[in-house]
Amino acid sequence: MTDRPPPPPSGKFLTTVEEPSESPFLTETEGIAVEPITQWDLFWTRLRRHRLAMIASIVLALLIIVVISAPLMQSAGWIDSPVERLVDDGGRTLRNIAPRLDDGTVNTLPPGEEAVPASPTALIFGSDDLGRGVFTRVIYGGRASLTVGFVTGFIVALLGTVVGSIAGYYPGAIDQSLMRFTDLVLGLPLLPVAIVVGRILPEMAFLPSWIKQGPMGIALLIGFLSWGGLARIVRAEFLSLREKEFVEAARAAGASDRRIVFRHALPNAMSPIIVQTTLIVGIAIVVEAALSFLGFGVPPPTPTWGAMAAEGGRLAVRGFWWELVFSASALVITVLSINFLGDGLRDALDPTQTIERK
Amino acid sequence: MLAYITRRLVYGLVTLLALSMIVFMLLQLSGGGPLDRLRLNPRMQPVIAQLTELWGLDQPIWRQYVTWLKNYVTPSEFAINNHAAVLIAIAAASAATYAIARYMKSHWKGAAILGAWVVAIFVIFSNVTIKFNWGVSFQGAGDVWDLVFGRLGATLRLGFSALFIALLIGIPLGIYQAIRQYSFFDQLGTTAAFIAFSTPIFIVGVGLQLIFALYFEKWTGVKLFYVAGMNSPSFSEMTFWQQIGDTLQHLVLPAVSIALISLAGYSRFQRASMLEVLHSDYLRTAKAKGLRRSKVIVKHALRNALIPIVTLVSLDIAFIIGGAIITETIFGWPGVGRLYITAIGTVDYPVVMAIVMIIGIGIVVMNVVADVLYGVMDPRVRYD
Repeated sequence: MTDRPPPPPSGKFLTTVEEPSESPFLTETEGIAVEPITQWDLFWTRLRRHRLAMIASIVLALLIIVVISAPLMQSAGWIDSPVERLVDDGGRTLRNIAPRLDDGTVNTLPPGEEAVPASPTALIFGSDDLGRGVFTRVIYGGRASLTVGFVTGFIVALLGTVVGSIAGYYPGAIDQSLMRFTDLVLGLPLLPVAIVVGRILPEMAFLPSWIKQGPMGIALLIGFLSWGGLARIVRAEFLSLREKEFVEAARAAGASDRRIVFRHALPNAMSPIIVQTTLIVGIAIVVEAALSFLGFGVPPPTPTWGAMAAEGGRLAVRGFWWELVFSASALVITVLSINFLGDGLRDALDPTQTIERK
Repeated sequence: MLAYITRRLVYGLVTLLALSMIVFMLLQLSGGGPLDRLRLNPRMQPVIAQLTELWGLDQPIWRQYVTWLKNYVTPSEFAINNHAAVLIAIAAASAATYAIARYMKSHWKGAAILGAWVVAIFVIFSNVTIKFNWGVSFQGAGDVWDLVFGRLGATLRLGFSALFIALLIGIPLGIYQAIRQYSFFDQLGTTAAFIAFSTPIFIVGVGLQLIFALYFEKWTGVKLFYVAGMNSPSFSEMTFWQQIGDTLQHLVLPAVSIALISLAGYSRFQRASMLEVLHSDYLRTAKAKGLRRSKVIVKHALRNALIPIVTLVSLDIAFIIGGAIITETIFGWPGVGRLYITAIGTVDYPVVMAIVMIIGIGIVVMNVVADVLYGVMDPRVRYD
């Protein structure tokens, strides 16, 4: 047996001077340059180890690309319009379309109606009872779901962080009043209140139509109802950070409140904010889908996964399973990916924290 | 602790007031009023005027709200049917409280006291007639109090069954996963919990309904579960065992749909809590003393690992209510949730307000119960 030579130093953590590097952090000691490991490196290494989280991020990235480019794909003729009927060249509806009549007769177009040429992807997921392509509608439904998810996430991150950090940084009357208000918001039952708002949202004449009709209104609604949990977490984080030595040192060195909050406290409270916001995105997508399923979400004919599942469920009773299966799968895969990503982020950012349920 | 409970209840009352104001205002913002349907008929003009006058719809919103609130909290009927039973219940609960506090030595003391008062309150309410003036349904469904309480039983049956299923399966699952950490079964359970956690209730509900109630019968010809409803029409003619079977055939699918997400949550939580206890010092001591493995796990680990679950279960109430709204709609369950959806669809203010407030009260009470139970079961928790 021969002694094996020691493994060469890995390029990441230990680089020799021969390798040119532009890093300003490079420090030289006896011919070996040591590149410091940043927090970001640690986070990234740990996240990459979480295989499911990596798969989930790829799925989500693909979904975001597809959803954003949907109108482009439609104008390029790859997918169809989400609200118009699919028709083949002969003016007949395509096979795989759920007939509207129970006896299985094929539903043909009434005379005089514009025939819309079908795209090459039209047949993939079949069509619904109105002859609209399920594939297209699943893609466009993703727009509603992701809009709701991200806008809600943004609102929750913003409100929760601002309220939580102010309450945690200024104890006393400000903290007390803000936290009582947070308790109040947390005490509102999400789904029942959301149903009421969802029901009357389209009737509120004084609201601009982008709030009334689109997913934005639903996102604002869910966002304003669910920032309480994050505010509590951020407050607790700030309360404990206030007492830490490095914050005291910064204060002793004469740092302003603003500097302490933005340079010292907030970066250290980042992990729970990111993890909690990720989970809220998943919850918001589920709540929006539930609202649409019950008929109080985004009004038709705009496709949403929740409304498609409701419609598909009624069709599946008669054996036409595809609309339900594809819209439900899209929803579950998306939420699952977000939750896996949240799990991976939690492991990578803060291994001691536990998941919070809503 | 009494001061703490009082403070929490006061905060709860403020939350309830805010909830009622918000929902009341929101309902007023809707474009069409409750009389919209009548307006279609021109001959209904005098009736509309009469109803507007009767229900005070022409008054300013704040006055309508104050009237509603005053009526909501004022009992319209109150009678004690059996004074002796009520007095005995109060006396017995007080005596039990004293005896438990004085002589009982385990940390389940508080739970025992709470249990005694729950039984007492149940006895008191079954011997008292009480009714509040919650108004009349705008859609002609009658008195709101009768309407809501006629439906509450069905929802409670569904909710408690779901909770029962979730606890019965979730907790042993979590314990087993913790004991066999990193085994194949543990990994499988973790993945399954994640998937269950990410599947919205309505998809579970519709899926179970289609597969087990509809397609199963179509494929095999055996009627396993019913698609909708709470009982068959011929329920009253059945024998006792047939009635139980019929009830289960209707109940299992909606209850499982609500339970699945809670079940996943409980198993994850129980696993984490059990692992924490299993790695604690006193457990190592128990093992080192040479106690049997089963005794270590059941007597030392399990008893402490069950405590955190209590809080989780109490806080789950809001989630179960939300789940009930969705599943009752899917399975045609004649409960409060479906009534809520119907009432919102027709802008039936009194019914919507009554149900929202019941949900709010339930959540406030359960939150307080959760805090108190947690404190009495874990003596390390202090209230201030």
